[in-house]
Amino acid sequence: MLTYIVRRLLWMLVVLLLISFLTFLMFSKLPSADPVSLRAGRNATPELRASIRHTFGLDKPFFEQYRIYLAKLVPFDAHSGFKPPDFGYSYQNNVSVKAQILDRLPATAGLALGGMVVWLLIGIPVGIISAIRRGRIEDRVAMGGALVAISAPVYWLGLVALYLFSKDIGVIQIFDGAGSYPNTGSLFNSPFTVAPTLFLPWLVLAASFAAIYARFLRGNLLEVMAEDYVRTARAKGLPERTVIFRHGVRSAITPIVTILGLDLGILLGGAILTESVFNIPGIGRLAFDSIQKSDLPTIQGTVIMGAFFIIALNLVVDVVYAFLDPRVRY
Amino acid sequence: MPLLEVEDLKVHFHTEDGIVKAVDGVSYTVESGQALGIVGESGSGKSVSSLTVMGLTRFFTSARISGSVRFNGKDLLTASDEEMRRIRGNEISMIFQDPLSSLHPFYRIGKQLVEAIQSHRDVSKAQALDRSVEMLGLVGIPEPRKRVDSYPHEFSGGMRQRVMIAMALANDPKLLIADEPTTALDVTVQAQILDLIQRLQSELDTAIVMITHDLGVVAEVTDEIAVMYAGEIVEKAPKDTIFASPEHPYTWGLLRSIPRLDLPRGEELVPISGRPPSLITLPGGCYFHPRCPYVRERHREVHPDLDAVPGDSDHSVRCLLASDTRKRLWRELQDGKDPAEARATAGLDAEEVAS
Amino acid sequence: MTRTPQRVAMLAAFFALALFVAACGSSSNNTSGVKSSAGQKIPQGKQGGDVTVLSAGDVDYMDPGQMYYTFGYMIGYSVNRPLYSFKPDNATKPVPDIAASEPQISSDQKSITIKLRTGVKFSPPVNREVQCKDIKYAMSRVFSANVPNPYATGYFGTIQGAPKTPAKGIPSIPGIQCPDPTTLVLKLTQPKAATVAAALVMPLTMPVPEEYAKPFDAKNPSTYDTHVAFTGPYMVKNDAKGNLTGWKRAKSIELVRNPNWDKSTDYRPAYLDAIHVDEGNADSTVASRRILNGSHLIQGDGAPPAPVLKQAATRFKNQLVLVPAGGTRYVAMNTKIKPFDNVNVRRAVFAIFDRNAMRLTRGGPIVGDIAWRYIPPGIPGFDEAGGLNPPTDPSLDFAANPAGDPAVAKKYMLLAKQQGVPVTADGKYAGKEKLLTIATNADPGKKSAEVAANQFEKLGFKLNFREVTQDALYTKFCGVPKAQVAICPNVGFFKDFVDPESFINPTFNGEAILPANNTNWPQLDDPSINKAIDAAAILAPGKQRDEAFAKIDLDITKLAPAVPWLWDKTPLIESKDVQGVADNYSTVWHLSFTSDK
Repeated sequence: MLTYIVRRLLWMLVVLLLISFLTFLMFSKLPSADPVSLRAGRNATPELRASIRHTFGLDKPFFEQYRIYLAKLVPFDAHSGFKPPDFGYSYQNNVSVKAQILDRLPATAGLALGGMVVWLLIGIPVGIISAIRRGRIEDRVAMGGALVAISAPVYWLGLVALYLFSKDIGVIQIFDGAGSYPNTGSLFNSPFTVAPTLFLPWLVLAASFAAIYARFLRGNLLEVMAEDYVRTARAKGLPERTVIFRHGVRSAITPIVTILGLDLGILLGGAILTESVFNIPGIGRLAFDSIQKSDLPTIQGTVIMGAFFIIALNLVVDVVYAFLDPRVRY
Repeated sequence: MPLLEVEDLKVHFHTEDGIVKAVDGVSYTVESGQALGIVGESGSGKSVSSLTVMGLTRFFTSARISGSVRFNGKDLLTASDEEMRRIRGNEISMIFQDPLSSLHPFYRIGKQLVEAIQSHRDVSKAQALDRSVEMLGLVGIPEPRKRVDSYPHEFSGGMRQRVMIAMALANDPKLLIADEPTTALDVTVQAQILDLIQRLQSELDTAIVMITHDLGVVAEVTDEIAVMYAGEIVEKAPKDTIFASPEHPYTWGLLRSIPRLDLPRGEELVPISGRPPSLITLPGGCYFHPRCPYVRERHREVHPDLDAVPGDSDHSVRCLLASDTRKRLWRELQDGKDPAEARATAGLDAEEVAS
Repeated sequence: MTRTPQRVAMLAAFFALALFVAACGSSSNNTSGVKSSAGQKIPQGKQGGDVTVLSAGDVDYMDPGQMYYTFGYMIGYSVNRPLYSFKPDNATKPVPDIAASEPQISSDQKSITIKLRTGVKFSPPVNREVQCKDIKYAMSRVFSANVPNPYATGYFGTIQGAPKTPAKGIPSIPGIQCPDPTTLVLKLTQPKAATVAAALVMPLTMPVPEEYAKPFDAKNPSTYDTHVAFTGPYMVKNDAKGNLTGWKRAKSIELVRNPNWDKSTDYRPAYLDAIHVDEGNADSTVASRRILNGSHLIQGDGAPPAPVLKQAATRFKNQLVLVPAGGTRYVAMNTKIKPFDNVNVRRAVFAIFDRNAMRLTRGGPIVGDIAWRYIPPGIPGFDEAGGLNPPTDPSLDFAANPAGDPAVAKKYMLLAKQQGVPVTADGKYAGKEKLLTIATNADPGKKSAEVAANQFEKLGFKLNFREVTQDALYTKFCGVPKAQVAICPNVGFFKDFVDPESFINPTFNGEAILPANNTNWPQLDDPSINKAIDAAAILAPGKQRDEAFAKIDLDITKLAPAVPWLWDKTPLIESKDVQGVADNYSTVWHLSFTSDK
C-alpha cells in the first residue's frame, strides 16, 4: 500500500508539471486579452507598454519565462533547500497569487463541503427509497424531480432560488440572499455566522448533485439487489432491512465514494456559477475574472490548485476504496 | 406426515412479452431425512420451484403463485412474510451454485455465519462465533478458528462451497435445498462436496432436495428422483428405478448423454436434439413432442397427465405412449439401437394409422 | 405511457413559476418623471449614518497615480483630493480643491501658476500638512516605470523635462517647480497650458508624501497601492503602518472618516460616517433589485440591466437618477480597409442605420439621446455644433433620420458606384468578401452588435461576425490596427475631462493612431482634419476654442468614419432611504454628498 501511495504521489507531481506547462503555453500563445494593454490603459505610448511588458517579464523568450516561473513554483531551491512555492504576482493588481488563492480557499471549501453534506443527505436516502420502491409513486416522483434538478442550469436555479426565498428580494423571505456571505471569516472559523448565508447556495449547488447521486445509487442498488449474495442473505432468513442495508446498500455505495472524491476535487477548484450568483468570494470567481483579464499568473495558480485537488482527492478516494472493498489490494 | 408436500405448484410470471409458465403444476413429497433429486435442463423450472418453496419468489411483483406447499403441515404459500423469514435459514436452508458470488465479498465469513445464526437464535456474538467455528470444522475446513476471519475471496472454490454448507446447516434445518451445488466446481472437488453432503445428511438427519442437470450427481445422494421438463415433472421414481427402468423419452435422452467409463473411448455422446421450449409459447399437446424421436400425431394435441406406471405406484410418467411400448423402446435403446431404429422396431409408425 | 404527461406537467409548472417570478416586475412603458442630474440642485443632507455600495468588480487601484477606471474614481475622489475637482452640480467648470484659487495661465500659454490651500493634512499615519512638494512628487512618480500611468505622457508630456519613456526610479522633472510650499508652477515646452490646466482634475495631482511613499515606490511595480495616504473626508481603514486593512481585494472596502480632514478647507459636506463597499456582485439583475428593494444600498459600478431599469423608471421613480454620461457610442468602420475607404460607402451606411433600434438594445429612450455627431452633451462645442436636434444641412442628410433612410443610403451607394465601388443597380454592395466584425460577447453590447450587423446586411454587406471579451476587443482586435478589423460595433469614447480636444484628438486625429491601445478606431487620417485639430488645440479656453472644435466635429461627421448612435445617460439607483447625489463628472454617486434620509 505504501509503495502504491508513493508511486501515485510521484505521478501527481508529473501531472502537475505537465498541466503547468500546458496552461502556460495556452495562455501565453492564445491570451484572451493582452495583459500589457489592459494594464497600460487607453492611449498608452509604446514606451509605456514596453516598460510594462518588461516589468511582467513578457519580453523574455517563451521557455525562459517558463523556466523562471517553474523555478519560483518548485518548493526547492539549489541554494536554500526547501522554500515555500511562489505562484508569482497578479498582472492586474500585483497581489501575490498564492495569498489570493489561500484567501479565497475557505469560501470555496465551505461551499463545496457543505454542499456535499447536503447532497449526500438528500441523494442517498432518495436513491435507496427509489430503488426499494421501484416503479411505485415514490420512485416516479423522486426520479422526476431528479430529472428537473439535473436539467436546471445552476445559474438559473440560483436566480430562481433568490427570487423565491431570499430575505431581501424574495417572494417568501426566509433565507439569506446574495451578498450575505461575509467578507471576513469563513465557515471554519465562525460557523454560526457564516452557515446561514450558505443555506441557499448549498441547496442550489447540491440540487443537481443530489439528483445525480440518487439516480446513480438507485441504479447501483437495483443491480446489487439482484446479485447472488443478496439472494443468499434472504435465503438465510435475514430481516429485509438487514438485507437491504447491510448487504445491498453496503455494496452499492462503494462506487459513490469514487465519484464523490472526484466531484469534491472538481468543486474545490471553484464552483464558479454558484459563487457568481450568490457573490461568494471563492476560487471559482477568481479563476473566471483572471481568465477574462488574461492575468496569467493567477490563471496558472488557480489551474494548478484545481488540478492538485482533483488528483489528491482521487488518490484519497482510491486508498479509501481499498478499505471498503477487501478484494482490492495495491 | 411428510416433511415437505408440494401439490400442483404453479408459478407464472406476467411479463410484457407474455406469461412465462416457469412452473406449471408440480407435485412432489419429501419425507424426513430423505433425499429427493430434481433433474432437468436450464429453464425446466427446477430452481424456481425450490425458490418458491423458500418463499423467495413472492418478492417478484410479476409472479402469480398457486397450489400448495406444506411444510410440516403448514402451508408456506399463505404464510406471512415474517413467518417465512423465520423458516428460511432456520428450518429450511438453501445453498446455491456459485459460492463466490453467493457470499458477500465485503464481509468476513465469520460475520456472515454469525448473522445467519443470530437472526434465528437468541445467542451472544461469542456463542454464535463458537457455533460458526464448530460448523466450519464439521464441513472439513482446516484451522477453522483462524479461517473464520478470512474473506470469501481468500478461499478456493471447494472451500467456499463448504462454507456455504456450514452456513446453511448452522441452525440445524430440517430440510436443505441444494441448487446445483457442484456445477461451478471441478470434478474432484465435486465428489468431495457430494460426499460431505451425504455424510451430513446421515449425521444430522437432514432432508435434502438436490437440484441438478447432471444425473451423475444424483446417482449417489438421492433416494428419489424427479425429472422436470418445461415446468412439469415428466417422470418420478425411486433412484434405482430411474436408472434401471426409466420410462420417459427425455429421461432416456439424459441417461444416454452421460459420459460412461464402461463404454469404448471415442464413442460419441448422444445429445437430445433440439432446444427447450419457450415457457411463454409452449408447444401444444405434450411439451416434449417437438424433440421426441417417438412422437405421434396425437401427441401434438393431447397434453399427457402424470400417471403411475401400472404395477408400480412409486413410479409416475407423463407420456401418452403405453407403458409396454415404453419398456420395449428402452430395451431397444439398451441393446444399442439408435432412436430411429428403436422407433421402427417398436412399430410406432405402423400403429399411427390405427390411432 | 400514462406517467409521461405527469412529468411534463411538473416541468411545465416549474418553468411557469420561474417565468411568473421573473415577470413580477414587468411594467408599462411610462417613463416620464425620471430625474436627470443635469442641472441638479445639491440638496441639504442629514449628518451621520452609513451606506453600502454594491459593485461587481473591485477598484483597479487605490493609488491615485495608477487609478484608471470609473469605479476607482468613485472611491478615489472621496478619499483623496486633486488640485481641482467638480462639484456635483457643475461638471464643466472645476473648482479649486487642494488648489486655493483658479490656475494662472501665462500669456504665452507655456506656464501655469497654482496657489495651494493651507490646513489640508494627510491621514494617519502620515499626519502632516500637504505642501507643494507632495504635488510635485505625485506628478513626478507617474513618469516612473514603477507607476505606469498613460495619462502622464498623454496629458502632461509637455511639461519641461518630462521623460518620454518610463524612467527608472522617480525622475526629477525641472518643469514642476515649488518656489514656496504653497505655490506650484508648471513650465511647458509647448503652448498647451489650456489642455494641461483642464487636466489638473486628474487623480495624479492628488498629493503623495515622498518620505512615506518612497520605499513602496522603489519596488517595481510600486506597492504604494496598498499603503495610500489620504487627504479626503474619508479614508480606507488602515493600521499604524499605513497598511490598508480595510481593503479586501475583490471583496470589500471599508471607508471611515479621515480624522485629519478639516471641514473648513473643503467644499464637501461628507454627511455619512461610514461607507461599506461590497464587491463581487456579479449578477447585475440581482444587485439592482437588492438596491431598489433594500435599505441603505447604492449602486457602485454596473448599471441596472434594461428590464430592471424599466421597473425602476416606473415603480421606483424616486430612486433613479439619469446622469449625462459625457460619452458617445459609435460603430466604427475601418477607413483603411475596402470598401470603407470610400467616403460615400460610409455615408450610405450611416444613412441606413436604424439608430432607434440600436438604442432599444440598451433599454430604449431612457438610456440616452440618439447621437449624430461625436462630441457629446456637456462637453463644450456640443451646443455650438447643433445640440440634440438632427441636422438640417443637406450635406449631412445621411445623419438626419434616426430611424434610417434607405433612399438616402441608396443615393450614396450609387455615388460610390460611380467611383468604382462594386455596387448593384439598386444600391446594394456587390462585393463577395466577408468583412471582419469584432463584437463583445456580453450583453447588452452583444445585442447592440447584432443589430448593427443587421444594418450592414441591409446594404448587402457580408460579415464575418465574431464575439470576444470586451478586454480582448480592445487589446487584441479593435485597438490593434494590425488586426485589420473592418467593423467595430461596440466602441465609443467617454470623457476623461471636460474638454473637446481630449474627445476629438485621440479618436480622429491621424497622428494619434497607435500600434496598440489605439483609440482612433476608424484610423481616420485626413490631413485637413489633423491640421484643424492641431490648430484648435492651442487656442485658449473660451468661445473661439469651443466653436473651432464644433466645426471640426461637423467636418468629421461629414466624412462619416463611424456611425454614432447614443449619447448615454447613465442610470444610478439607490434604496428608498438614501438621498444620493449624482456626480455629473464621473457619472457615479458622489459619496461625499450622499446622505441617509
